[in-house]
Amino acid sequence: MDFAFTDDQLVLGSTVRQVLAEHCPARAVREAGRTGERLPGWPQLARIGMFGMLVAERHDGLGLRLADTILAFEEAGRAALPGPVVETAVIAPGLLPDDLQDRLVKGSLRVSVRLGDQVYAPDADLADLLIVEHDGAIHVLSSDEVRLTPQPGVDPVRRLFSVAAKASRGDSSRGDGVRSRAQAVPVLRAATVAVAAQLIGLARHLLEASVAHAKTRTQFGAPIGSFQAVKHQLADVAIAIDFAAPHVYAAAVAISDGQGETDNLRAAKAAGEADILRAVSAAKAAAGEAAALAARAALQVHGAIGYTEELDLRLWLARVWSLTSAYGDTALHRARLRAAILGDPELRRHP
Amino acid sequence: MNLEFTRAEQDFRAYVRGWLAEHVPARLPSMDTAGGFAAHRDWERRLAGARLSVVSWPHCYGGRAASLIEWLIFEEEYWAAGAPARLGQNGIFLLAPALFAHGTTAQQDRFLPRMACGDDIWAQAWSEPEAGSDLASVRARAERVDGGWRLHGQKTWSSRASYADWAFGLFRSDPAATRHHGLTYFLFPLDQVDVRPIAQLDGRHGFAELFLDGVFVPDDQVLGAPGEGWRIAMATTSSERGLTLRSPGRFMATADRLVRLARTLDPDPVLADEIARAWLDAEAYRLHTYHAVAAGADLGPAASMGKVFWSELDVRMHTLALRLLGERGLLDAAAPDAPDSGAWLHGYLFSLAGPIYAGTNEIQRTIIAERVLGLPR
Repeated sequence: MDFAFTDDQLVLGSTVRQVLAEHCPARAVREAGRTGERLPGWPQLARIGMFGMLVAERHDGLGLRLADTILAFEEAGRAALPGPVVETAVIAPGLLPDDLQDRLVKGSLRVSVRLGDQVYAPDADLADLLIVEHDGAIHVLSSDEVRLTPQPGVDPVRRLFSVAAKASRGDSSRGDGVRSRAQAVPVLRAATVAVAAQLIGLARHLLEASVAHAKTRTQFGAPIGSFQAVKHQLADVAIAIDFAAPHVYAAAVAISDGQGETDNLRAAKAAGEADILRAVSAAKAAAGEAAALAARAALQVHGAIGYTEELDLRLWLARVWSLTSAYGDTALHRARLRAAILGDPELRRHP
Repeated sequence: MNLEFTRAEQDFRAYVRGWLAEHVPARLPSMDTAGGFAAHRDWERRLAGARLSVVSWPHCYGGRAASLIEWLIFEEEYWAAGAPARLGQNGIFLLAPALFAHGTTAQQDRFLPRMACGDDIWAQAWSEPEAGSDLASVRARAERVDGGWRLHGQKTWSSRASYADWAFGLFRSDPAATRHHGLTYFLFPLDQVDVRPIAQLDGRHGFAELFLDGVFVPDDQVLGAPGEGWRIAMATTSSERGLTLRSPGRFMATADRLVRLARTLDPDPVLADEIARAWLDAEAYRLHTYHAVAAGADLGPAASMGKVFWSELDVRMHTLALRLLGERGLLDAAAPDAPDSGAWLHGYLFSLAGPIYAGTNEIQRTIIAERVLGLPR
């Protein structure tokens, strides 16, 4: 049992963190929500291999497993990185045909999706390709084959779109791009866990920002962070994050145990289907709730200035709200967990 | 990063599970009665006979030199098997880490083997009427005399003291010093101490007041150097708040029992949701612990996060069980209709102490805010 990150896994996380600190600062996130550069940091992330992490080595990707990369997604969340990062880096390698994989690795292909329970495609206006579920089949469509209708909402950066196929397109312009819905299931689980990791990263940033504000904002002649009511709120946020993150890491491991390896020993050790389903929903629900608590406390600790358009805080709050409802909101995952835990007479812990 | 037990870890688990399946007794009477105390002491001796009372200790003191992961496995199996509460817990989990770190070889040889086999059961003597959460305001004092010290004063909320053999605690050895200065860590037998049991919320006598009126303690029963007591005690209290007091296994076992209970009673979706959540929170504590152990970090003040988490989870799980059981859940062991012989009720009352003992959760949240997050005092 060694449930700690390896040096390689830690290095990947810290590299992504450094790149984003330099190339995707808060003001860049803000610009992405207006009319500025919509994909700050993406060229630099492509250079360090972010979009080929989960692409197989035979396509010149890094061939990593989700657990190896989970800290990279946590860092993407911490920076509130704009753009369809999970869709491009997690879903596309699992569903795009072989001849497109090398473009993913180079970072020259951006992908949005509308799969499973999704109603809208996130960041679809930035995508070259859309992976869309329709009539039980999965279609890969280029951006000029679809009509996008913007559905503006709370998050100015992660924008949502309705997707309709243009009448002129063929049955599927890329016959080899059609996948069955079943193939999307494991890919969507991996995406859900990657989004959960982003939520953990967002929550960590919100806690740090709240602590920083509480140390410097003075009222009644003292920093507000010296008041117990503020301290205890932030302590509760720290606890929530600390006990949600292991669910996310364990889900990434459970998914990874089933990736790529086929020998019998590995199969015997690997998490079963029920373990994976439960771990994925636990990760998303716990991370979503921790992030929601961090967001709520951050706003309260910042006070009126937090409730303004002016402060960057609102960008992180909005991302928490939008990612909490992405890939199954907390209620949906809690319902699945109810069924998985109370309805499964074979319930056991993994491992 | 993996979640796979090694072959050796799996073998260890299988051995422990097999031994417990064969030896765990039917429910023992409460350890806070004279008869129950003796029965629990006997159980400690049987554990020790199988070298299972202190698995993480070195072989020379009765242990198996088990790794932290193996110790967690032992705990998971122990509580899953429904084995008795550990009478020797205060000594084994709270005093022993301090003895290993700060005791002389002579002290270790003298105290550890007897602790391991239940010959000496230890009580803690930290709190005083005016020193609860604010432990540094200890008033009980140690007076220097020829060859040792004489202890004076009052201790309270001393767990297990009603029937225990020895106690460990802090006394002010330098009358001129204040707060955490001038405190010394003493080990003293309880036979010369006036012990007055206190009836608890659950009607039992799990803790007691201690009145010391010049009890003589020789120099070789001082742990560490005189005046160093605070530092040594803090090492112990971080064990208390952290892993060693309440390992995940205990809460995993409660969560599993709660889910089994819920399945028989078909709860409404609101209760079902909270029960599933509690089961997952026990899982979170387990994963969190595996992660922390593998990362090898000294928990330090982060141990406070675990303490708040498990103590509130424990209250929540027992509250849910009582909500599932309705009026029957409030019947105690004497009632013919009591479910599970009143175990959920007793567990509930015991769980209510969790957010209070080992430093109240308010103190823990303040420690987290100041020493983990770095907020100003």
